[in-house]
Amino acid sequence: MNRRRRPAAAGAVLGCLLLAACGSGKSILEAGNEPRPTAAPVTTLPGQTTVPGQTTVPTAPPTTEPRPIDSLPPCDMAALDEAAADGPVEILFWHGMSNELGRELERIVDQFNASQDRVEVSLEFQGGYEQTIDKYLQSDTDNRPDLVQMPEYTVQLMVDTQSNVPVQACMEDAGYDASRILPTALDAYATESIQWAMPFNVSNPVLYYNKKVFRDAGLDPEAPPLTLEQLGEYGRTIQATGAASYGVAFDSAPDGGGGWFLEQWLAKEGEFYSDNANGRSAPSTRVLFDGPTGVELLTGLQDILTTGGGVYVGENPSGTDAFLKLADASTPASMTISTSAALGSVLQFVEGGIIPGIGVEDLGVGPMPSPSGAPGTLIGGASLWITEGRGDAEAAASFEFISYLVSPEIQSEWAAATGYVPVNAGAVELDPLRAVYTGDPRFRVAYDQVAQTPDVPTSNGPVLGPLREVRVTAASAMAQIMNGAEPQAALTDAATLANALIADYNARRG
Amino acid sequence: MTRDAASRRRWRDAPLALAMLAPSLIVLGAFVLYPLARAFWLGHQRCDPTGANCRSNGWDQYLDVFRSEEFQQAFGVTFRFAVLTVPVGLALGVGLAVLADKQLRGMGFFRTVFSSTVATSVAVASLMWFFLLNPSVGVLADWIGGVAKNPGLLQDEDTALWAVAISSIWANLGFTFIVVTAGLQSIPADLYESAYVDGASGWMRFTNVTLPMLGPTLLFAGVVLTSRAFQSYGEFDLLTGGGPNGSTTSLTYLVYGNNSIIKNNSGLQAAVAVLLFAVLLVLSLAQIRGVERRVHYGN
Amino acid sequence: MATSTMPRGWRLAGRYTLLIVLTIVVLFPIWVMLVGALKPGNKVLQDPLLPTHVTFDTLREAWRDGNLGRALVNSTIVALIVTVAQVVTAVLSAYAFAFLRFPGRTFVFGVFLATLLVPFEATVVVNRSTVQDLGWLNSYQGLAVPFLATAFGTFLVRQVFLTLPKDLREAARMDGLGHLGFLREVAVPLARPTLGALALFGFLSTWNQYLWPTTISTDDDWNTVQSGLRALAQAQIDKPNLVIAGTVIVALPIFVILLVFQRQLVRGLTAGAVKG
Repeated sequence: MNRRRRPAAAGAVLGCLLLAACGSGKSILEAGNEPRPTAAPVTTLPGQTTVPGQTTVPTAPPTTEPRPIDSLPPCDMAALDEAAADGPVEILFWHGMSNELGRELERIVDQFNASQDRVEVSLEFQGGYEQTIDKYLQSDTDNRPDLVQMPEYTVQLMVDTQSNVPVQACMEDAGYDASRILPTALDAYATESIQWAMPFNVSNPVLYYNKKVFRDAGLDPEAPPLTLEQLGEYGRTIQATGAASYGVAFDSAPDGGGGWFLEQWLAKEGEFYSDNANGRSAPSTRVLFDGPTGVELLTGLQDILTTGGGVYVGENPSGTDAFLKLADASTPASMTISTSAALGSVLQFVEGGIIPGIGVEDLGVGPMPSPSGAPGTLIGGASLWITEGRGDAEAAASFEFISYLVSPEIQSEWAAATGYVPVNAGAVELDPLRAVYTGDPRFRVAYDQVAQTPDVPTSNGPVLGPLREVRVTAASAMAQIMNGAEPQAALTDAATLANALIADYNARRG
Repeated sequence: MTRDAASRRRWRDAPLALAMLAPSLIVLGAFVLYPLARAFWLGHQRCDPTGANCRSNGWDQYLDVFRSEEFQQAFGVTFRFAVLTVPVGLALGVGLAVLADKQLRGMGFFRTVFSSTVATSVAVASLMWFFLLNPSVGVLADWIGGVAKNPGLLQDEDTALWAVAISSIWANLGFTFIVVTAGLQSIPADLYESAYVDGASGWMRFTNVTLPMLGPTLLFAGVVLTSRAFQSYGEFDLLTGGGPNGSTTSLTYLVYGNNSIIKNNSGLQAAVAVLLFAVLLVLSLAQIRGVERRVHYGN
Repeated sequence: MATSTMPRGWRLAGRYTLLIVLTIVVLFPIWVMLVGALKPGNKVLQDPLLPTHVTFDTLREAWRDGNLGRALVNSTIVALIVTVAQVVTAVLSAYAFAFLRFPGRTFVFGVFLATLLVPFEATVVVNRSTVQDLGWLNSYQGLAVPFLATAFGTFLVRQVFLTLPKDLREAARMDGLGHLGFLREVAVPLARPTLGALALFGFLSTWNQYLWPTTISTDDDWNTVQSGLRALAQAQIDKPNLVIAGTVIVALPIFVILLVFQRQLVRGLTAGAVKG
């Protein structure tokens, strides 16, 4: 051992020297000689002046010109008729739906393949949304699928790959009637007045809670908390009565409590997440979550942790930690906020009897609590994108399959099995979803949140090229705040980095 | 004439040598040297998210990346991870191997047990420890309590790297144990006997005979473990996703991780990857040079 | 090894106690994993240390959901290809460096050694696009080809070859054996323990590959066991132990190999560590 220690020690010294001497304190995004907007609050780069405490942003044009649909790859539905005459057109569909969701999707695809002989879909699970994005970006046209499912935060990224046939082209060519597709869901995937993709699975965050704990604590199990203040009060009551160890369990996952929820909360409060109307009137240049509303929100969340019976479960990398906290044998929590898409599997989880004494009927679902208790939500989930350059027949076949997936019948089955919100209004009037919605109002909560969303610009989520990376920075701030950091300072740091991400992205794209 | 003969002899084997080296040269050239050179080139560029439309951003991008906050932090994480895992892993491996070395009844069983973790891959070991350390499902949380329960060892900034290191040490234990056991078996018995005759105690025999004779073995195991530590990725990907708050974002995670802020930024990714190579290069040279001088080669 | 010590009773007892304690520590995670894998998903939180409610359903489900049957076949094929190829390429190149004289030998050997220091992680991005250009995504070629030769193997086998006495080669020449004959008849048999070690090492490290298979497959038919496990590790709220069952399935074959080849592994892994 001692024979190895010397060089290791030398290495340690060397490493420390390097760290101390070499650190520039600047973000990696600033590396290189091309002038970039600074990430550090007080730095001056050539050609730019900065004011201390304020992040510099390049000025952007105030509005974006609508893009003419003719300037984009066309869609020829007739090509499918021709090709299908010689046998079914095979298309490849990449998706990121795991487990129960994946199995349900598989069932629907099999059903589609069996129902007609024009199109044959083969399904490839990529391991999750993130892997789907990575593999799509890394692949060339030959290795891309004909159709891909992409989460809501990739709109701008996908548009910038310039690798898609916008579904609008197919809708126009096919004379598709989109009047029954939820307008807010369509809007989420439309920018520059182009409908790029078709929403397929729509979800939003809801409150999951343990009704038995509510009853034990003397709270009305049918009246879940709507505001953050109530969330804290409920938690205090639950703790005071000893009904459970904790009130709400928070996580700080980028695609959960740390990133996605922040976008949702700001929208609920009628605030933009980024400038230029969430990037929808012109490309966003900076985020706005470090403003007063964001600070107030995070301060409220922090208060719930300190005095409102809340518990922080970390970054939730597996996506299950917050739920498992509800089932914790020694120190359980009694509420958590998570995606409505988990409802199907959470019910199965509870049904198996994993929480002693709790049955499926004891699981409550309520709207996502927010500072003001305002209803409404942003469209979460994912949409379907047609790849360009794979052949006219394939593009048309993809659209035919898309039309099937968003038909009232299939959306009814899909939403009833999973907890997703149907994107087709007709689905609610059809069984099995009609039966589920009347029989089990818990499935309806996410749908109602969409239905109650006010028709204002802030109800359309942010379109930022690096939205996933921005979420990571927000999640990091959230984690710090959950651990007691001062909200304003943490959010300002995160916003600075987020602005650098946006600027860097725009520079690389340009 | 003699020069001619010499030159002919010099070249006589060349065709055969080329044929024998060709398979390795082609593979190493195409999948190690070429990508390294390519990555080196890419490292001074910035590309769009699909990796196309690359433009030069100046060679000082390397220097700036090296000095940047994210790189320095990831470098620190990687370095601490190596310092946490390598010495402890080696010490445990040596300890177990020495304990199980004597030809006593049942040692075969103990050897099998101690080598058993070699059967676990990074993914297997990480997922096991993820399960074990989970604050709600895992058994350890209720025993340890405190931060292990809330928010969990993998979810606290101060403990996450340690927790990942424990998983990694455990996973590498089988390998270290096997290597050291083999090293022990190659130490001539008469060395111990003469030490015994000289009246050396057990501990003295360990420090004066065992450890010096294990030199080459420890060098080998140390180099392998160090390079594994610097290249660890799966542990971070599966156990922590680089968090919380970047406390387990290693250099490899900074390049490939889902939660890296440069994940769709191939120029910066390449720059970090090349710098990782440079760091390993310096480290390996230092390690080999520093240790080789002191290592005692038997016989 | 022969020791002349008469072990005192208490010393022996102490050693065994320590060994048993350490055994428990090392095996503890494996035990918890086995117990977890043998429970139904909804009983995971109960008696995590005791095999109650034993069922093979979770293992069966992990097998199905992770497509692990196919993944095991893929991993085995790839690992075998790589193992054989690494041994062959290492023997050939090591022979060239040890027994042949050619201009630039030192330089080429230096290049080989340099590749030893390149972390595979530094080359993944470029290698992926190479494999894509070759049309080898989702294929055995793609999974195996980058690993068919290693400088590590070359270095290891060359060390063994260098220790062979010079007169062996001379004697062989007298007997009319050319280089290839000498390689086949003399050098390879003498290097067998090292080659065995190299083979096992190659097999294990290929089996354990994580980043590469997750990078180059876009079709779960081309998952290896490690990338299959990763897919299984996705949010799994109603069956928190499914992935644990997957790890049992994946670790088992290697554990059996370890039991069977333990001697070779021990003997072999030292070849790199101990001179001579």
